Amino acid sequence: MADVLPRPDLPPPALPPSAGRGEPDAATVGTPPSFAGKGAGGLGPSLWRPALGVLTLLAILALWEALSRARVLNPQFFPPVTDILGTFVALWRNNVFPGHLVTTLWRMAVGYAIAAVLGIGLGLVMGRWRAVYELFEPLVEFLRPMPPVALIPVLILLVGIGDEMKIVVVAFGSLFPILLNTVEGVRGVHPTLLDVARTFRYGEAALLRRVIFPAALPQIMAGLRISLAIALIVALVSEMIGATAGLGYFVLQAQRGLRIRDMYAAIVLLALLGFTLNWLFLLVEARVLAWHRASTGQQ
Amino acid sequence: MRPTRLLGFVLVAVLLGVWEAAARTGLLDARFVPAPSSIAVAWVGFAASGQLVSDLLATLGSWAQGYAIAAMLGVALGVLMGLMPAVRAMLGTTVELLRPMPSVAIIPIAIVLFGLGDPMKRFVVAYAALWPVLVNTLYGVLAVDPLLHDTARTFRLGPLRSTLRVVLPAASPYIATGLRISTSIALILVITAELVASRNGLGYFVRASEQASRVPEVYAGVLTIAVLGYLLNALFVAVEARVLAWHRGLMRTEAA
Repeated sequence: MADVLPRPDLPPPALPPSAGRGEPDAATVGTPPSFAGKGAGGLGPSLWRPALGVLTLLAILALWEALSRARVLNPQFFPPVTDILGTFVALWRNNVFPGHLVTTLWRMAVGYAIAAVLGIGLGLVMGRWRAVYELFEPLVEFLRPMPPVALIPVLILLVGIGDEMKIVVVAFGSLFPILLNTVEGVRGVHPTLLDVARTFRYGEAALLRRVIFPAALPQIMAGLRISLAIALIVALVSEMIGATAGLGYFVLQAQRGLRIRDMYAAIVLLALLGFTLNWLFLLVEARVLAWHRASTGQQ
Repeated sequence: MRPTRLLGFVLVAVLLGVWEAAARTGLLDARFVPAPSSIAVAWVGFAASGQLVSDLLATLGSWAQGYAIAAMLGVALGVLMGLMPAVRAMLGTTVELLRPMPSVAIIPIAIVLFGLGDPMKRFVVAYAALWPVLVNTLYGVLAVDPLLHDTARTFRLGPLRSTLRVVLPAASPYIATGLRISTSIALILVITAELVASRNGLGYFVRASEQASRVPEVYAGVLTIAVLGYLLNALFVAVEARVLAWHRGLMRTEAA
């Protein structure tokens, strides 16, 4: 039987270049933004499929609302959807949510920026010079698989529960995907490009800035995208454990104080935040990599 | 081993040596950064008391159960959504809204529903680990060459057999990637749940030690978690290499 079947024609290298190092990679995490409308055949080309998805979502929410109002679902644990939305609007209007949101975003942004600068800088050096890579390899390989949230108690000992603690944890957690993707990207630069640069007598600095960095950029962006999600998670956890403000603090305090509507409203805000950050990143990435798509003939 | 490679381990040893010296001479405040040797002593105590084993088992148990649930649900849903456009159209929007939500946001809901015990941890892990498996499986199934579907039909494989024998193997590299991402996400979530709200597990040990100012124990616990992360990752890589050996071989022959 196996001999009769034609050789399966498999998808393009689904085992990514980073396969085996345990790092999420471009091919899979950097998935296209939408798959709801994808599919063979069907009626109209685009509109009705996403519409069906929205209808399903609305149906689920309506069912929740009805079951909660009918007290089939315990409203103490599952308050009606409309109540949650009302709480959301109220918390937004009286400035509770915007304040916590800004606090969380600030900590996250600073840590993420530090990780981006360090990760891309170190990654360029480690990718360019094998000796440097090998020097740091044991350290990186040991620290990388560690869940970053485990560092929070140590950092509380070292620097207390202030902003420094959150920023350091966010930076640590975001560092490795950016670093390793940059290394992979630099190593994957086509040798011809390097030869051309040499022919034009580029110095090492110009080579890194004008050839290697742009060529590695798609992979660097993939690392930045993975780290964006990690940065948000780690920022929230650090606020859950030791903080007096921020969305992570708010959502856990709401749960502990049995303010269940506040808790759900905050979770809705977090879902919107995650969605928006991801969407913004895709916009930026599309702009930054537009030349790359054009030059490789991709859509 | 290349000399620079060896140098990497030397670097780690030197860093540990400097740390030890700095802590002993008082350059580092040993109340907050104890010497590696005192951390080692604390770790031996942690292990000898039997607490290491019980906390490790608690963490690993929640991790493995939640991960297993996520893997089964994720692959099943991913295949369903991949093969049936109607299911994909119905669930697509919901998946796209829930997936980017930072998964730790589910912890408060889990506490409300399950309290502070192991079921809460299992639920949190399963929820967070579900999305990478689901989405990667879906993409894997969508990427299956139509020729394979046609071939399966030619051989009159029923829907179940063609799913098990054609679609799943063809999508398996994608599924493996999803599973690999979920391995580390599941660990982050179980440790977070234990840090935030739990009464057992390695995360709880670290948090309780920190609150009781047993500082060497904090470091010993974090070290244990780091080693656990390292080993789980190494284990996954080894299993993946075995399971997907046929795929790598195939890619090589096609490239040649």
